[in-house]
Amino acid sequence: MIKPSPSDLIKSSVRSIAKNKGRTLLTSLGIIIGVTSVILLTSIGNGLKKYVSDQFESLGSNVVYIVPGKVFNDEGGFSNTESFVTLTFDDKDISKISRQFKNDLVIPSTQLAVDVKAGDKIKKGRSLIGTTPEYGPANNSVPKETNGRWFTQEETDKNSKVAVLGNKIAQDLFGSVNPLGKKIIVKGKNLKVIGVVDKKGSTFGGPSLDDHIYTTIGTVQNITGNSDINTIQVKIKDKSLINKTKTDLEKLLLDRYEKDTFSVFDSSQLLSSINSIIGTLTIALTGIAAISLVVGGIGIMNIMLVTVSERTKEIGLRKAIGAYPRAILVQFLIEAIILSALGGFIGVVLGALGTLAINQFFPAQITPGSIILAFGVSSLVGVIFGVAPARKASKLSPIEALRYE
Amino acid sequence: MTKSSSENKHRPVVLELQNIVKTYRSGNTSFNALNGVDLKIYQGEFVSITGPSGSGKSTLMHIIGLLDSPTSGQVLLEGRDISRLKEHEMAQIRNVTLGFVFQQFNLLPKTSALENVLLPLLYSDVDKSLHHEMGVKMLTKVGLDTKLKNTPAQLSGGQQQRVAIARALINNPKIILADEPTGNLDSKSGKDVMEFFHKLNQEEGRTIVFVTHDQELAAQAQRVVVIKDGKISISKTQ
Ligand SMILES: Nc1ncnc2c1ncn2[C@@H]1O[C@H](COP(=O)(O)OP(=O)(O)O)[C@@H](O)[C@H]1O
Ligand SMILES: [Mg+2]
Repeated sequence: MIKPSPSDLIKSSVRSIAKNKGRTLLTSLGIIIGVTSVILLTSIGNGLKKYVSDQFESLGSNVVYIVPGKVFNDEGGFSNTESFVTLTFDDKDISKISRQFKNDLVIPSTQLAVDVKAGDKIKKGRSLIGTTPEYGPANNSVPKETNGRWFTQEETDKNSKVAVLGNKIAQDLFGSVNPLGKKIIVKGKNLKVIGVVDKKGSTFGGPSLDDHIYTTIGTVQNITGNSDINTIQVKIKDKSLINKTKTDLEKLLLDRYEKDTFSVFDSSQLLSSINSIIGTLTIALTGIAAISLVVGGIGIMNIMLVTVSERTKEIGLRKAIGAYPRAILVQFLIEAIILSALGGFIGVVLGALGTLAINQFFPAQITPGSIILAFGVSSLVGVIFGVAPARKASKLSPIEALRYE
Repeated sequence: MTKSSSENKHRPVVLELQNIVKTYRSGNTSFNALNGVDLKIYQGEFVSITGPSGSGKSTLMHIIGLLDSPTSGQVLLEGRDISRLKEHEMAQIRNVTLGFVFQQFNLLPKTSALENVLLPLLYSDVDKSLHHEMGVKMLTKVGLDTKLKNTPAQLSGGQQQRVAIARALINNPKIILADEPTGNLDSKSGKDVMEFFHKLNQEEGRTIVFVTHDQELAAQAQRVVVIKDGKISISKTQ
């Protein structure tokens, strides 16, 4: 009983789309806007997530961090409460931990904000980190062979005044000059540059690892005049023991320190907290995207409503010459699907191009999920608003439809 | 005071209206546009329907043409009540048996004359390979073989109405229904259209019912039906 064959209906729909270029353009535009913005916004959210987890992967997943203050709240997000940064650790903690975790590396470090000078250049407020030889390998911060080296145990024992520079601070201080063997001045002390770490990238406006200056822990303690330790890293041999290690470390430290005045965590915890923040951000972005889908949908609806009288007349005429309602519905459905697919396709292409463009400045990553979501929702909107008026019109008598104002 | 012609009695009845009432309602007022119409149309007849403006001529034509349904009463097509069929059955009759010509042409805009003429074939059983040739032939028959690709906007009123007539004829309908087909045309084009209808009636034996309020045109028909206030007041064979 399907008299206009599907191929005839498709042909007829294509002709109708081609004949009404203005209407076609405006309808597609709504879909294009919706699809493009959804893809762009979700690309940004996803790119952000991937970027952050890549950063953390480079930190290594078998390191437990011990820092002063309460870093996480009970929900696993970052704590808002005032951190007790006044707490510091000392050598006693290091030896206690070393005794209990004989097979693991215990790496103390002390951090200080300093102004650095080299020749006539001065850089203010950079992080000077005093630590031990194990810190470099544990944090993927050992300079490449041609860029010098990390400091040795011997240099650490002798409180040698040596410095390993982050990539950016090396650039800032020395430009194109090779910094190896050169002097930098920190708090009146001359440090000899023995290595430059490869570029690590920034953590979104936070302090960049590339701005850090590393030296022996004794050198920093000489500057501060005390033997305080700010951070302890424990690099464990057996990754599967990471949770037990954290519990044991916490117990050990509770002998000396109050609960919630220090934190014991690993990088996966940090990652999941950051991811939960990005997740919230992505939801916000998706919300904005949803709004643009709605805006696109309203655009489609408007143009459909504007043309509904013209289209109702067409439906009346078709009925008058013998079209049965289903043939009309199928025709309008095909038209709506073609329009949505067309707009959706252009939207996907624009979204992909936009993602590429944004990628030049900011991590962005397109995902199949966002394409499916954007395409699906806007097609649905297109089809509903395309077919609903037609459905209504096809229920009128031919003469009512023909006379529709 | 309906008078039936005795001359037609030997021909079969193709269309019969029995006590047709059409009531329009708006709010709580209702209005009977047709108030009990009985009418027989015989095969091969050429009938004109005339009457003052607002008397119900168009309403009647729409009901005969299955474009609208009566509030009560029956429309019999060759003895079968067609006024309460299923949608797709009505569509089939509009498509194959009836050819309707409107005063306002009702062509699809931005669509070529040929495509307009072929439109009914889209919903018919006619083999697709024949469509194009049939359309060209039909447009040639109405004298528009040079205007196949013209859109309605590129045609004069008379030409547009001829496209609409070609469209009404494409499925070879038994009955042509025309509601003031010359109403929007100049007198020359109107005359051409009427001549064409006469030819269809005389040479092809098609039954033709047309509405006009032009006394002169009405008088050209074999039978003149006059409607007043939704009722047939005169039915007179010339
Ligand atoms: N859709 C409608 N709703 C309400 N009244 C209508 C409608 N269509 C026609 N009428 C009324 O019915 C009467 C007959 O109309 P119509 O059949 O168009 O007359 P004619 O074609 O003879 O001029 C008129 O009074 C008209 O106002
Ligand atoms: Mg009328």
